[in-house]
Amino acid sequence: MRIPCPYCGERDAHEFAYLGDATLTRPDPAAEDAEARFHDYVYLRDNPAGAHVEWWYHANGCRQWLKVERDTRTHAIAAARAAREADTPAGDAA
Amino acid sequence: MADRSSHDPLAGIAFDRLPPAGAYGAPGEPGVVASTAEPFVALVLARPGKAASVVDRLHRAFSVALADRPHAAIEGNTTVIGTAPGRFLVLSRTDADLFGTLRAILGTDATVTEQSDGYVTFDVTGDRVSDVLAKGALIDLDPVAFHVGDAVTTVIAHIGVTLWRSGEKSWRVLVGRSYEASFTRFLIASAAEYGLRLENKGSEGRG
Ligand SMILES: [Zn+2]
Repeated sequence: MRIPCPYCGERDAHEFAYLGDATLTRPDPAAEDAEARFHDYVYLRDNPAGAHVEWWYHANGCRQWLKVERDTRTHAIAAARAAREADTPAGDAA
Repeated sequence: MADRSSHDPLAGIAFDRLPPAGAYGAPGEPGVVASTAEPFVALVLARPGKAASVVDRLHRAFSVALADRPHAAIEGNTTVIGTAPGRFLVLSRTDADLFGTLRAILGTDATVTEQSDGYVTFDVTGDRVSDVLAKGALIDLDPVAFHVGDAVTTVIAHIGVTLWRSGEKSWRVLVGRSYEASFTRFLIASAAEYGLRLENKGSEGRG
């Protein structure tokens, strides 16, 4: 699998570290039900077959975080953007 | 100079010691010549929104043809390498106070970090350099695709490197100092079939 880093160009996946789902939003730690929300946020994961939006860190390249749209069935990558520029609402990375 | 033209040019060399200068691998005219240098190095990181200003200031100070992208801008004794958005490695062969020079040039537009003790560079020249580097890298280094002035930060033989093509047959590879022995071993093993002449400081001291 090769990931098209917006700065470095297309690179082998082993240059990257994977964080996971980029659609999650960190809960408000001051909320009443913060503990339950953090449990869900940290531990519960969807496992979609198909389009997925993910965080990848280009550890052995530009050392920038990327927001990558990947099809989990084919590893086809529809888009990769710098996280610093991907500040659209969660799940809306198109 | 040692002659190590046997089938195993690394035989008898401790893995954590710098292999001595000499001829390795195939006898005759070497396909690759490698030597190390310890240039003065500093890292420049533009503050948010200041990348264009940093590019402009570095351009005016060093006359380098610079842009905010992964490439090597070389002018005289100064080399500026783009390694990330708004981030540049600056190398100088002569300016012992590169940090101070850059602070004066960049003012508050960027943070500057002294890195001279962190790195060594390998100057690698010859007809077979791209063939050798290709054995460890997962990017296309063929001279057709990788042009003079192109630069990448990537991995070669599991060692993080920044490398750039400084001329038609000359390349420079920046490696963390503690990986100098490991990267030298990669060069010896990978260049053995073409012949390698290694010109370095030898194995005394640093491992
Ligand atoms: Zn990158």
